[in-house]
Amino acid sequence: MFDYKMVREGELSTVFFKGDMDIEITEVMEEEILPGLQHVQQVELNFAAVSFVDSTGIGLLMNLVQYLKEQEISVTVTQLSEQILEVFDLLQIPDILGREVFPIYSIEND
Amino acid sequence: MNFRNRSSFPDDEGNLHDEIQTLKREINLARNIQSKLLNAEVPKLSSGEVTGRSIPARLIGGDYFDFYPLANGKVRIVIGDVMGKGIPAAMLMILTRGAFRSAAVSTTGPGETLTAMNNALYRDLRSLRSFVTVFCADWDPEQRILTFANAGHPLPLFLGKSMVEELPRVTGVMLGGLPNQTYQEKHVHLNANQYILFYTDGIVEAQNQAGEQFTIERLKNTLLKNEGKDVGNVETAVVDAVFDFIGDKTQKDDITMVTLRVGEDRTDISSFNAPMIYS
Repeated sequence: MFDYKMVREGELSTVFFKGDMDIEITEVMEEEILPGLQHVQQVELNFAAVSFVDSTGIGLLMNLVQYLKEQEISVTVTQLSEQILEVFDLLQIPDILGREVFPIYSIEND
Repeated sequence: MNFRNRSSFPDDEGNLHDEIQTLKREINLARNIQSKLLNAEVPKLSSGEVTGRSIPARLIGGDYFDFYPLANGKVRIVIGDVMGKGIPAAMLMILTRGAFRSAAVSTTGPGETLTAMNNALYRDLRSLRSFVTVFCADWDPEQRILTFANAGHPLPLFLGKSMVEELPRVTGVMLGGLPNQTYQEKHVHLNANQYILFYTDGIVEAQNQAGEQFTIERLKNTLLKNEGKDVGNVETAVVDAVFDFIGDKTQKDDITMVTLRVGEDRTDISSFNAPMIYS
């Protein structure tokens, strides 16, 4: 079961994802979340309540991040669980999307 | 001339029924095409055995495996997982198959094969906002050496002498992720009756009614329980274990595996319990 909440605070919009991110979220991602972030300056995608992301979920996340970057919207992905981070590392997602998208890597380097 | 858009405005139930029947027929044709392309001839090895199986979550799937015979009795093995499921993923799976077959002819190793596939597919995958994870390996049944490279795919499992572990970690960006990629190769030396299981994440991420995943641990336990069996039986055991686990829950993702077993018809010159890594 997937749900999300979008919170705006000034220039920052935070999307709190909750549940599993798989093919079931395709429509929500493309028809609700992406259009909902059209006119913002800064986006945080918060994964604190995400338990599982499959390859389709990763693809949808990549598409969302790449779309936001094309619109010159600053985007970060935060609060990833260790398990999901491991999968992202295997797929080299930080190399593809840019390490600046994942603040966890700058924390590790500090 | 009929100017009505029949897809949008079926004039009666009969029309709608006809359109559904046409759609079903076409999906079944597509399924047959995919099934024929996917179930490529399993190569006969000079020693040992190999087999592959794919079970789509929907009528057709986006997982892929293939074998390509090389010189001197070697065989190139590939397994891949296209992002998404159903018809869109199946279309990209056919594209991936074409890229593998073309690359396998002109490249000398699995790393080069992945580079050629990424070069061929990158632009299409980016424009379609998709990607494919692929693991590619050359198996030499005479020397018993497996040389492999990885484009973002789960690492295969090694089974032998009551021990299961992942092959040595080798990383690489998934096809469609970044342009102009090179892929590192590693190789392992295997011994008689050891196995390699290549698989897609649909196996370990299969969920039961409680929302629990099958996990790599259950996969490892299944392999351990079935060590000594031929590759067909090992494969069946894994499929049975996954479907017993998910029970009445609908299969969410495609399930695909390739199982390789090393032959025993030559003198065993070593006694390693684990694969010997040459990297």
